[in-house]
Amino acid sequence: MTKLITGVEIRTCFGESEATFEALAEGRSGAGELRHVDSGRLGVNRGYHVEDAPDEALLRASEWLSDCVASAVAQSGIDVMRARVAVVVGTGLRELRAVERLDEPGITLRTAQLHFTEAVRQVLPDATEVITVCNACSASGHALALACDMLDLDEADAVVAAGCDAMTESMLAMIGRVSDEPTDQLRPFDDERMGVLLGEGAAAVVLERGDRPRTGRGPVLGKVLGVGLSCDAFHETAPQPVGIARAMRDAHERAAVTPGDVDLVVAHATGTALNDPTEARVLSEVFATAAPGPVVTGIKGSTGHTSGSAALMSVAVALQALAGRPVPAITGLRRPLPEAEPLRLVIGAPATVPVRVAQVNAFGFGGVNAVCMIGGAS
Amino acid sequence: MTSSYPSGRRVAVRSAAGHVPGVAADAFLGAAGTEPALPPEEAHQLLGRKGLLYKESATRLALCAVHRALGLPPGRPTEPVGQGPGTAVVVSSNYGNVNTVREVVASVRAGSRKDVSPLQAPNASSNVIASTIAIRYGLSGPNLMLCSGAVSGLQALRLGALLIRAGRAERAVVVGVEPDDATVRQLALLRPTSNGRHPGPRAAAACVVLEAADPARADQVLLGPVSHHGELSAAVKDEGNAAELRLISPGPAAGAAGEVPEALDLSAAVGETYGALGVLQAAVATAWLRARPGSGAARAALVSGDAEDGWARAELLRPAGPMDAGAM
Repeated sequence: MTKLITGVEIRTCFGESEATFEALAEGRSGAGELRHVDSGRLGVNRGYHVEDAPDEALLRASEWLSDCVASAVAQSGIDVMRARVAVVVGTGLRELRAVERLDEPGITLRTAQLHFTEAVRQVLPDATEVITVCNACSASGHALALACDMLDLDEADAVVAAGCDAMTESMLAMIGRVSDEPTDQLRPFDDERMGVLLGEGAAAVVLERGDRPRTGRGPVLGKVLGVGLSCDAFHETAPQPVGIARAMRDAHERAAVTPGDVDLVVAHATGTALNDPTEARVLSEVFATAAPGPVVTGIKGSTGHTSGSAALMSVAVALQALAGRPVPAITGLRRPLPEAEPLRLVIGAPATVPVRVAQVNAFGFGGVNAVCMIGGAS
Repeated sequence: MTSSYPSGRRVAVRSAAGHVPGVAADAFLGAAGTEPALPPEEAHQLLGRKGLLYKESATRLALCAVHRALGLPPGRPTEPVGQGPGTAVVVSSNYGNVNTVREVVASVRAGSRKDVSPLQAPNASSNVIASTIAIRYGLSGPNLMLCSGAVSGLQALRLGALLIRAGRAERAVVVGVEPDDATVRQLALLRPTSNGRHPGPRAAAACVVLEAADPARADQVLLGPVSHHGELSAAVKDEGNAAELRLISPGPAAGAAGEVPEALDLSAAVGETYGALGVLQAAVATAWLRARPGSGAARAALVSGDAEDGWARAELLRPAGPMDAGAM
């Protein structure tokens, strides 16, 4: 069964949805000086911060999530009092930043604030349930998959799939620990890429069943055709081609599309040594029979790696292309790495191409893969 | 608001195991076997030494529970377990990596990133438990890590069943686990309590392996509806006849005296197991339903939650055997 997308909101380093789409169209990077932490000790100097109060609030991701959920639900016009509306929040790092600050004077934290039930209920008190899925960098792709399954099995009338993450010092330390030198700019699929930089933000998407009278009254913005999932079961941090390809094929099968139907791929493309060549190889292989193959873009050169919200941010960008806007170029990409040369990468300027079916890739630590197939409103 | 999830393909419990070091096995109605549960630092006796370096307590306990539920001999498996590709993993844990996160930050603040081992890197991500289980046992179906607070354990059961019903997996290894350490002790005191007292955290793990139950067999333990409730009084209410076994935390001391008759409160007996509790309840109920003499139908109601996260309720059912079919 097709699921209708009837509300979308994102928050990135550029601001809300429209500000983000404009920045992507202009190829701007939101990278700036790293805040709130000692970058010298961490070995990471830059990041893509959401602009908020200079004094670091305790629960930043929760605030962005609340805003995005409220906005997406308002667009959809769903009646939360009457309909069964469930919420699935994908996150990589929860509010672990608050745990890192537990010993600072004046910090008061409740354990329930580490997950996102309260942040959601603050704006959606009548949600039937709130599930926090902590699935690393593909978390909101997993949230979208579960949302589809809950609608398919009639466990909800509408589901809000969401994602959010704020940077943690511990994750920055790990990125610094395994980098030879600090990265200045995230460069997806670039031959001289220097690694990942973290971003921040949130995203929320409202899904309704496509085979029944609508629950909401807002316009239909697009469709989720299907979401494929897999786990590499291979390595804690390194991606594995077989597992990634399996998620793509599962997504195509669930969406009832063939590789030749796919016009656009919004790639995971994190600018790391391992992800980008692996993803490029798998894309070449999966779309080998579909020459010339889909146009390929990625947003992390502009937004940074926003971890738990990354998949749904890419879905929001895919919906813009499905609605007829040009496909943004890959910010930071100068010369593609050899494995990516066969791909139709969007470099330099936005590409004006008709898009009917888009694929969004998201792969996470631990080999957790989610691939979302998105269609247009009509 | 209340919702419940009855739909689709039937889902049964294939096997289950509790793994709670330091608690006598008889607290778990047979779910924890008869041998004492190994503490995290001795997990290698069951799991083999290889691959445990820098693995956190929660990951080690979770692996022990999975190892026992899968019925494997001691030692690291040399190849994926049977049906690995069709098997999903769903893990519930809230405290899993909180202490590591704090220790990493303390090391960096006192020195630099060079004072942290790169082998700690996977532990900075909360899904390390679920992915480690998948890697060790070759379980390449969908892999989910849930951190939803006090309802997380029963949510894990529900989502394990959802993945099976949605045709994403034939089996689901569902795990609930929490460690006990300095940070956990600090955070546990920040949780709401019904009577002003905290039973104290208990490191605990449990694993319930779910599978598609078609065709249903008489001796199966089936997963019934899982629902979410804003109020404890709604969560504990049985539809129709009273359940034969009631596992409810918080127990009668929750101010709901009279509403929760004859319920077994594992938290009171074992300690606070938070995100592990729902799965531990399911393991205990499975053991009890299986051991019940006769072939009559029986039902177990599981309730866990708190005032901040709300309450989840699940039911496990043993259908009537063929001899009792007329009595259904």
